[in-house]
Amino acid sequence: MRNPTTLVVAVLVAAVTVPAGHVVAQEFVPAIVFDMGGKFDKSFNEAAYAGAERFKKETAIAYREFEVTNEAQREQALRNMARRGSQVVVGIGFSQASGMERVAREFPNLKFAIVDAVVDLPNVQSIVFKEHEGSFLVGMAAAMASKTGKIGFVGGMDIPLIRRFALGYEEGAKYVNAKIEIYRNMTGTTPAAWNDPTRGGELARSQFDRGADVIYAAAGATGLGVLQAAKDKGRLAIGVDSNQNHIHPGSVLTSMIKRVDLAVYEAFKAARDGTWKAGVRSLGVAEGGVGFSLDQHNRGLITAEMEKRLQQARADIVAGKIKVTDYMAGK
Amino acid sequence: MSETALLIALLAAATARGAAPLVLAALGGLFAERSGIVDIGLEGKMLAAAFGAAATAAVTGSAWAGLGAGVAASVLVSLVHGFACITHNGNQVVSGMALNITLSGLTAALGYAWFHEGGQTPLLGPGARFAPIELPGAAALAGVPGVGTAYREVVSGHNLLVYFAAAIVPVAAWIVYRTRFGLRLRAVGESPDAVDTAGISVSVTRYRALVMSGVLCGVSGAYLSIAHHASFIRDMSAGKGYLALAALIFGQWRPVPTLGACLLFAFADALQARLQGTPLPLLGVVPVQLIQAIPYILTVCLLAGFVGRAVAPRAIGIPYLKER
Amino acid sequence: MGREIIRGVKASVSSRPRCRWVAPALLPVINLALALLLSAVVVVLIGESPTRALWLLANGAVGNAEAVGYTLYYATNFVFTGLAVAVAFHGGLFNIGAEGQAYIGGLGVALLCLGAGGWPTAMIVAAAVVLAAAGGAAWAFVPAWLQARRGSHVVITTIMFNFIASALMTHLLVNVLIKPGQQSPETREFDPNTWLPQLHDVARSLGWEIGRSPLNLSVLVALAAGVGVWIYLWHTRWGYELRALGHNETAAVYGGILPARTVIVAMSSSGALAGLMSLNEVMGVQHRLLLNFPGGAGYVGIAVALMGRNHPLGIGLAAVLFGALYQGGSELSFDMPNLTRDMVVVIQGLIILVCGALEHALRGPLEAVVR
Repeated sequence: MRNPTTLVVAVLVAAVTVPAGHVVAQEFVPAIVFDMGGKFDKSFNEAAYAGAERFKKETAIAYREFEVTNEAQREQALRNMARRGSQVVVGIGFSQASGMERVAREFPNLKFAIVDAVVDLPNVQSIVFKEHEGSFLVGMAAAMASKTGKIGFVGGMDIPLIRRFALGYEEGAKYVNAKIEIYRNMTGTTPAAWNDPTRGGELARSQFDRGADVIYAAAGATGLGVLQAAKDKGRLAIGVDSNQNHIHPGSVLTSMIKRVDLAVYEAFKAARDGTWKAGVRSLGVAEGGVGFSLDQHNRGLITAEMEKRLQQARADIVAGKIKVTDYMAGK
Repeated sequence: MSETALLIALLAAATARGAAPLVLAALGGLFAERSGIVDIGLEGKMLAAAFGAAATAAVTGSAWAGLGAGVAASVLVSLVHGFACITHNGNQVVSGMALNITLSGLTAALGYAWFHEGGQTPLLGPGARFAPIELPGAAALAGVPGVGTAYREVVSGHNLLVYFAAAIVPVAAWIVYRTRFGLRLRAVGESPDAVDTAGISVSVTRYRALVMSGVLCGVSGAYLSIAHHASFIRDMSAGKGYLALAALIFGQWRPVPTLGACLLFAFADALQARLQGTPLPLLGVVPVQLIQAIPYILTVCLLAGFVGRAVAPRAIGIPYLKER
Repeated sequence: MGREIIRGVKASVSSRPRCRWVAPALLPVINLALALLLSAVVVVLIGESPTRALWLLANGAVGNAEAVGYTLYYATNFVFTGLAVAVAFHGGLFNIGAEGQAYIGGLGVALLCLGAGGWPTAMIVAAAVVLAAAGGAAWAFVPAWLQARRGSHVVITTIMFNFIASALMTHLLVNVLIKPGQQSPETREFDPNTWLPQLHDVARSLGWEIGRSPLNLSVLVALAAGVGVWIYLWHTRWGYELRALGHNETAAVYGGILPARTVIVAMSSSGALAGLMSLNEVMGVQHRLLLNFPGGAGYVGIAVALMGRNHPLGIGLAAVLFGALYQGGSELSFDMPNLTRDMVVVIQGLIILVCGALEHALRGPLEAVVR
């Protein structure tokens, strides 16, 4: 329905032939299935939500959504979306990979997209981010901002994705200061690990007590506890996924932004415009998929000198002069 | 030497912060369980209080108003528990579980509806939460080796609710063992028939116990959202209510041993945070999951090794049916 | 504590009304209606239509063959964990550890399925039943032994063992069992011959078309487990000893029952039942071992057991009710996005509260009416 005339005709035909209240089968209704954290986690899922909202605002096309609350619901939700006639279904989070694999096989004529995992099927677009590259940059920022030569990392759970964040961060910090000391903590082993700001705050306090003065949180809502502890202690924290600088202006050094919003928006838009393609989209610094945030809230924390070095490093990563180790690559 | 002293002092301070919400909730549970009411709903009460406190503090800008609202919310939940278990002789575990589930959803749903931040409440500014208090003399004593460090790091610099938690332990012990209410409480939990025969209302005593439980869980929940953190986040109690219940049983339903159990849990947690990624003697760097399991393994070992058979209040869990 | 709770349950059961059948038959219906009414109030407060919500909930749970399949699939999990909690309860033990026991049961099943690619399916299924039960029983055995020999309170130890199980499984899945090169900490997919057949496939091979759902043959294992528990508790000497112990420990000891052995047998059986839950999730649905697959079913089992009055029949009914709430609830939030997943949780909680904890509240008025 790229042609507006076709669209008008289709709407008219639909209005005439279909009694009001029924779903019009041909109508374009994209769908999104959020992961456990929910669409307002101020972080990963919220970025996806922002992308879907942007699409809705620009095109006035509503989308279907679902927030997963248990393991079994993932596949069920994806199938439900497919069956209700959504032409494109976007799954957020690596946990949806196995469910999407099955559902995408069942509905070969529909388009699917998954964020943070690779599903190798002709009707699935897999969007993965080079989090290690973005983490490298914020690791550099942390090392440059640190006065004590000690920085920290608080992850949600010790899983490959979080190790990739941690490794990139550590490499970036060491790129600036080879002798820097880095503390690494993981929150827990149950799903509560992503939702426990109290423990996040305690882990941050423990690292601050040991002398760290910048901490990078990659732990969902648990990270909000890290940000709060930094504010309370008068030290610095680094946000993740969404731009979290505004949460505590002046004590969030920067945020490692991961443009999940862009991924979702583009998947919806491409599906509507007919330019959608299957395959793997790997978004790194070069593609604008990851990076560090700089806005009015942290302008005062990033000096011109720091910014210059960060921009230089970004260019070097794009040019291939700096190679950041991908934790997953060796696996 | 001074490095080790500082390490110990910092661990002790982390222990105090971690133990505070557990102590408050566990002592709340103590009142309820000593009166014969199983209180598995500590988790739900903490959540209700955390939400009530954060929401009210966000709207009014006052930490005290938040605390009051948190306590009120928690007491209300406690009374619903009482209504089901005391007035209607319902199953106490089912009621507690039901309240935990209901509040897990209700707090997030109300937060969603009122603040439009997906179940969270807005972040609180300085006046709307209980900030750390620098005790007098902390700066003056700082130069004194040992004592100065200990005073500055361990005793001073906590928020008001931590001091409240510390103070409430002797108060709770005094109420349970030295007051008429405490005597009735224990009697109702052991042999309600006898208390009834003596002309004291079993129901009223149990309701009063549940109100006490509500108040203490209320402070505990408020600690999470308006003292330690600065907003409500869905399910932010993250299992602390169940851990408090375990501490209560570990402490054999007595205030001081319960405090000990809470301190142990909090210390083990602070220790595991410190040990993560640190090479251990003889073992090298251990997988982080093993370190994270230390508090739980330690608890089981101590329980098996040193603590004897737990003896619950005799009438716990049994609805009291008056002979007709 | 559990022992006292079970006595509490019996105390309330023994005070049955004189009116033989009317109240017991009507009461659950009226309670459910009341719970739905309360939920309707909440729905109205959110600004949605309660009748439409109820219709969506009911239709989503039992409206078509597929919905029924999903409802029964969830119910299968709850039957296993509910039975697990109930068996321990009859012995006066409160097993909060079904979650961890199911998790470890899943480890046994997964190791078998990963290694037994070439075996005939029937043999794998038989071995899986044994291993799932053995994994769960092993994880319950330690708390049981500590309770029996050292007096360590089983509530604490089972809570702790849930945490230890999650740490152990996270370690194994992230560092050992993970399929190389993937983000998600889960094993590779098992070979198809190790899958527990799903009911819609079985039905198709018999010539019927039923809705596609994850319901699989483990539901038959669940039914068998229910019958087994019934026989065990009320028709064997071990079951008698267990109930005697749960009823009155002093009298049981006086009657020659060995409490320690009985406690260990009861908890291990309980753990075995919880472990069997993994057949449904790991072997029947996911076909791989993944992080946190029990998803809270162990805790739901507590409510299921208590609402089912610790009787297999009641547990079956309660499990179906909870399964319907899970399934209908997710359909509900599909069609009414304003009723967020949190609202669905609230409605579930209210139903447990009214039908479970406040079940006696309306008995007095009801008896006054029917008499």
